[in-house]
Parts: sequence; C-alpha cells; structure tokens
Amino acid sequence: MTSNENVLEIKNISVCFDGFYALTDIRTNVKRNTIHFYIGPNGAGKTTLLDIICAKTKPTSGNIMYYPKDKEAKRLTGMKEYKIVREGIGRKFQVPSVFVNLTVLDNMILSIKGHKGIIDSIFKKPSKKDLEDIDKVLKKVGLIDKKDECAGSLAHGQKQWLEIGMQLVQKPEIIMLDEPAAGMGKPETFRTGEISKEIKKECTVIVIEHDMDFVKQAADIVTVLHEGKILMEGDINDVLADKTVQAVYLGRGGEG
Amino acid sequence: MNKLLKKQGSNICFGVIVLILAVMPLLYLRGVMNGSTISFLGKCIAFAVAAMGIDMIWGYTGILSLGHGLYFALGGYAMAMYLKLQSTGGKITDFMHTGGFTELPLVWKPFLNLPLSLLLIMLVPGVVAGLIGYFIFKSRVKGVYFFIISQVLTWAAYSIFIALSPYTNGNVGITEIKSIFGSIKGSSNIGNMLLLFYVALLIMILIYALCRFLVNRKFGKLLIAIRDGENRTYFSGYRVSNYKTFVYVLSAVIAAIAGAIFVNFNGSITPSQMTISYSITMVIWVAIGGRGTIIGAVIGAFLINLSEYNLSSGAMVEIWQYIIGAVFCITILFFKGGIVGFVKDQLPAFIASRKRKKNKGEEVPTKA
Repeated sequence: MTSNENVLEIKNISVCFDGFYALTDIRTNVKRNTIHFYIGPNGAGKTTLLDIICAKTKPTSGNIMYYPKDKEAKRLTGMKEYKIVREGIGRKFQVPSVFVNLTVLDNMILSIKGHKGIIDSIFKKPSKKDLEDIDKVLKKVGLIDKKDECAGSLAHGQKQWLEIGMQLVQKPEIIMLDEPAAGMGKPETFRTGEISKEIKKECTVIVIEHDMDFVKQAADIVTVLHEGKILMEGDINDVLADKTVQAVYLGRGGEG
Repeated sequence: MNKLLKKQGSNICFGVIVLILAVMPLLYLRGVMNGSTISFLGKCIAFAVAAMGIDMIWGYTGILSLGHGLYFALGGYAMAMYLKLQSTGGKITDFMHTGGFTELPLVWKPFLNLPLSLLLIMLVPGVVAGLIGYFIFKSRVKGVYFFIISQVLTWAAYSIFIALSPYTNGNVGITEIKSIFGSIKGSSNIGNMLLLFYVALLIMILIYALCRFLVNRKFGKLLIAIRDGENRTYFSGYRVSNYKTFVYVLSAVIAAIAGAIFVNFNGSITPSQMTISYSITMVIWVAIGGRGTIIGAVIGAFLINLSEYNLSSGAMVEIWQYIIGAVFCITILFFKGGIVGFVKDQLPAFIASRKRKKNKGEEVPTKA
C-alpha cells in the first residue's frame, strides 16, 4: 500500500466491436485529486472509455487497476458494475438520468453510500447524518430549495447537477462526468466548472467535454483522443498549442 | 382536508371498500342478497389480491408479466388437492383410478396435512418463480422479451397439467370440492360461508397492508427507480436483478394465495385459470384501476368483475370481451394512470375551483 499518486491506471485497453476498434491500446493514468479531461472529436472513443471503467462494456484486451485511498489496489476489469460503484467509482451519464417520478430528496436517498441490500431497503431508514450529508451536497449543487420537488420537473441543467449530486453523496473516490455541460448556457456551464473544482478537493474527477471554455476553466490534465487512440496528453496550454490537435479537433470548430 | 386526501386517500378508499364488503354478508342474512352473490364477491376478493401482486411487479417495477395465471393456478391446485383429499377421506380419486393408480401418488401425499398444504400453497409457486426469475433477470432479459417468455412458460405449464391427467385430471381439473370450512352451499351452511368470507377479507387487508408498507419504504422508491431508469439504478450500486427476482417471487406468492382463496369459493379449479388470456385479464384489471397505486388494483379488480357479473348476460355475453378490450385500449391510450390516476389528477383542481367559486363570485384567474 505505497502511496501511489495515480488513482486509476488504464493499461493497454483495446475494444473491438465486430472488427471495428473503438479503442486501440489505450494507456493513461489518472492522478489523485485532479480534474482529468478526455476530449476529442465524435467517435474518438471517449464514452467507450468511461463504459470500460465502470464495466458497462467489456474490453477486448488490457486491464484497469484502481488504487483506492488507504486500501488495497483492485483490478476493475471483470468486476460487476454495482460492485465498482460500491468500491467508489460513480458516473454521470451523457443524457441526464435521474429518477423522474421521485423527488429530489428521494433521488439522493437512493444514492447514499451503503445499505443497498433488499432487507436494508425495507427496514432501514436514512440516518440523521445521511440526511445532513444530503443537505450539504444539495447546497453544493444549488438544489436545496428544490428538495421536495419531483425530479422530472427540474430544468435540464438542474437535472445534470442533481445527477452529479447523486454521485457525490456516494462519497466516491472517482467521479466520472460524461458531458456535464451539454445543453447548458454559459452561466450554467461556468457554475458546473466551479462545482467540479469544488468536488476535486474530495475526489478525482474525470470529465468528457466538448466545450473548450469549460475545459480551460477546470482542467488540470487533458488527454486528446482521436479515432480510438491517444493523440496527446498534457497541460491545457500544451494541448491548445499542439499542431496535430488543432488539425484534427480544434480546427474543425469542435469548440463550438 | 386536501392534504389528508392526498396522503391517506388510498387508505380511506380501501377502508370504504372493506366496510362495504363487510356489510354484504349481513344483507345476505336479511335475505336481500343471495348466496351466489356472496360467493362471487369472495372470488372478487381473490382477484383483488392477485391484482395487488401484479401491481407490485408491473405498476411499480415496470415488468409486464403475462404469466401470473400460472401462479394463481398453482396456488389454486395446491388448495384444491388438499380439499379433494378431505372430501374423499384421504383415499385416491376417480381420475387417479382411471389413470391406473392403485394408491395415492407421492405428490399428493403432503396434501393430507393442512399446515403442510398451506405452506406448499405459497412455497411451490415461490420456488418456481424464484428459479425462473433468477435466471431470467440475471441474464438481463427485459421488456417484450420477458413477457414473451412469461407467456411461453405459462403455456408450457398449461400443457403439462393437461398431459398429466392421472395426477391433475387434465382438462376437467379438480372439481366437486368443499371449502376449507366445509360446504358453503345452501342456507344450512351460512356459518361456513360467512367464516370463509371474512377470512378472505382479512387476507385481503393483510396483503394490502403489506404492499403499502413495502412501497412506502425506500424499497418501494427503488422499485420505481428500476422502472424509470434501470441503468442508473445499476450504476447507483444496486443489484437490480436481485430486487427484480424478489418482487417477482412476492407477486407470485400473492397470486398463489389469491388462487387458494378463489378455489374455496369456486368449488373447483381447472387449467383454464392457467391460460394466457386469464393472465392478461389480471393485467387489464390493474391497468384500468390505475397501476402503481395498489388501491387502483383493488378498484380495478372489483369494478371489472362486478360489471362482468352484472352485464355479461344474454346478448352481452358475446360482446363483453370486446367492451373490455376497448376500455383497455382507451385506458392505455388516454388515461395512462387508470381510474385512480385520473381522480388524482382531477380532484385537486376540482376542489380548488370549488373553493375559488365559494370564496368569490368574481373573475377566476385561469391557471396554466
């Protein structure tokens, strides 16, 4: 249990869908308490990469090692998705997926860490501390006033924040955000960036995003993917200055 | 008042239904009502119980099962086997003779004993549903594929029950049986009838209480979560397949209890209770009553069966199925929430508009 500065090591991951390689030999490390962006044109394999980390898709080859804080390292490849969540890796989907027929509070209660068994869900009520934690997170994402509203009645941006909140209340080590700013206006996007920076203090954030302003605002490290391969990895300024990146991605008006 | 209605509306509604039912036998004693109506109401209670189980799996969890007739019939057969042995005094039946048996087959032996029979009524369907559910949900079969499988399994079971006629009496089913408290036919057996009726009513209350308890807990919220976003539920750290199997088994056991009640009032059980169309009928009760509410299932089961009882005579017999079908389509297309959903949507607005009118006769601002 040496203190490893990497929380996630992605080793030689390849994914093949019927002969088409969505990802080829991806090697990348995610450092603890950073905001790590994966950017790239459509079809670069960004979402597939997240799918692999949380076991929604199985890789054709390669594996992923996970180094939780003060715990033993774990191999994520081959684990069931609900177990990965319980190990502390949360994910927000590209399309906001909150439970639309439940209130904001119920959405959060369902997401609390622990007590995920059938018996517990019948007989256990959320503790006072759990409810306090929920309030804290709701304040952070700015939804405390909407606590008793039906999640389906929230605006698009608020649903995105609620889903981020649902991940936070699980107290994850890594939180993965798939296009958190999609469909948001400038002020909302800025707010999301600030929320991400706030989250970074407690966990590691992996983000997929197209909005370059958002990337500039929040990124610590940026990895550019292109056609299933890593084009380059580094500081935001290096990435923006790189000629190849400009050619394949930025030059195409990808930043919108 | 409004708040009370919102919170306790379904409990109040259920209370009223129970009260009305509880008074019925008294009307019978007064001679206002005949015995067959009471035993029909008893069957309706059984249907309402089965419908609550369907509501748990379909209304809350969003799994459309068109095979709950199977579990209803399994419970019914288990009950009927015990009752049949009571009427033969533990000896083998005519159809077993015809089938070539000289002594009681092994599968019938446990049904000589009442506590064991009652246990098996719940255990057999529970185990069957558990096995089916475990494999189906573990391999993440859902939606249309699930309900095709549920239909096929029901059809297979139906064929098996007909093929095993030395054990089950095939097409004819198990007939000429008395209720668990003795015969309920004729005026001399009023006592038995009333006892049976109130026991059935009590079981309905207990099942209602159980379902309401479950859906009001985090468990119930989770079922809704599975219905609305199964993926999200998996990625919130829940083992969704376990939950699905649990609810499937629960609803199967509830259907089996309903089947057992039904047999007591009906005096016979046949494989027709196991058919797909019978299973679909149960789903229709829930849809029309209002799914995802529990009380809707009860209302739907009573309403449809009572209308069928009163309306489907003479010329109506032929077109009754069409009427039900049409009502079902209209409900699905225009009133997704069924009767209960419609009332829930309209009642608050109605009360509010009444209040506004009462307060002042002047112009009423229309609310968007």
